[in-house]
Amino acid sequence: MNMLSYHETMSREGVVLYYNGPISQSVVEGVGDMMRRKMVLEDNGMQLAQKVFSVLVEQMQNVICYAQDICTPAVCMGTGQIMVGRNGEEFYVACGNPVSRNREARIRERIDIVNGMSREELKAYYKEQRRKGPDEDSCGAGLGFIEMARKASRPLQYRFDPIDDETSFFAVKVHV
Amino acid sequence: MSSLRHFIVEPTKSSPAIDFNPETHSMSLRGESYPENCARFYEPVFDWLRDYLAASQSEPMVLDMEIIYFNSSSSKAFMDLFDLLDGAAQAGKPVSVRWRYHEENETALECGEEFQEDVQHMAFELVPVAA
Repeated sequence: MNMLSYHETMSREGVVLYYNGPISQSVVEGVGDMMRRKMVLEDNGMQLAQKVFSVLVEQMQNVICYAQDICTPAVCMGTGQIMVGRNGEEFYVACGNPVSRNREARIRERIDIVNGMSREELKAYYKEQRRKGPDEDSCGAGLGFIEMARKASRPLQYRFDPIDDETSFFAVKVHV
Repeated sequence: MSSLRHFIVEPTKSSPAIDFNPETHSMSLRGESYPENCARFYEPVFDWLRDYLAASQSEPMVLDMEIIYFNSSSSKAFMDLFDLLDGAAQAGKPVSVRWRYHEENETALECGEEFQEDVQHMAFELVPVAA
């Protein structure tokens, strides 16, 4: 295993943060807060730091929820990947995690809906869904992808790759 | 009113400090809000407020909200909270929410405006706080 070559490849591609493994709420807090501080300290501005932080938190909490493999009263964790990268002035936040194939259609539908919306439509849709409450297959309030789309500068990019009969690998990338 | 306790919760890295005082009718939520299970975290807040509003239907109350960041699930919880208070205001209780945002934090201001647009009967003030 050549850690240096991983490191060099990622640096070349502008990757600022890469994490692959178990994610629990304490990882969300630690990694999220560290990225936010780093971005503020590097003079990226509070606005951009908040956007990256916000998308990171939504994505990591989705991994805990949808790729959950351990959950006790003390701690729940999911397994996935988190990446923050930089392309010139622009940042992106991406995550990847296994999901049950029977969730795939619903996730596609949710992302396709928000990708087709203007800023104003997203705002109205967010408010409407916030009042309405989540679907039964949501872990949180069912607002995560709308929130990501509102922070994004481009449509959300996503893909599903089949792993086996029950599981797909889901990845989504958000440019902020 | 005497049966209702002063409701205090210490902050964590991802959940706000809560201070609800039934004697002074002044309440506050301050800090971050992205707990692991938002519905579970805010449940005692709603329980307490329902008891409080049942016991105090006319005394003016103020809620200070000074939230640095909140996730989408917290946004839902806050809307439910404001809807509950707006209902009490409609029924005649003077309710005032002060949404305090960091001057540099445009996102927090916009979020405050979006809540303000969605309530009708209570006062909802946007208050900038110096950095």
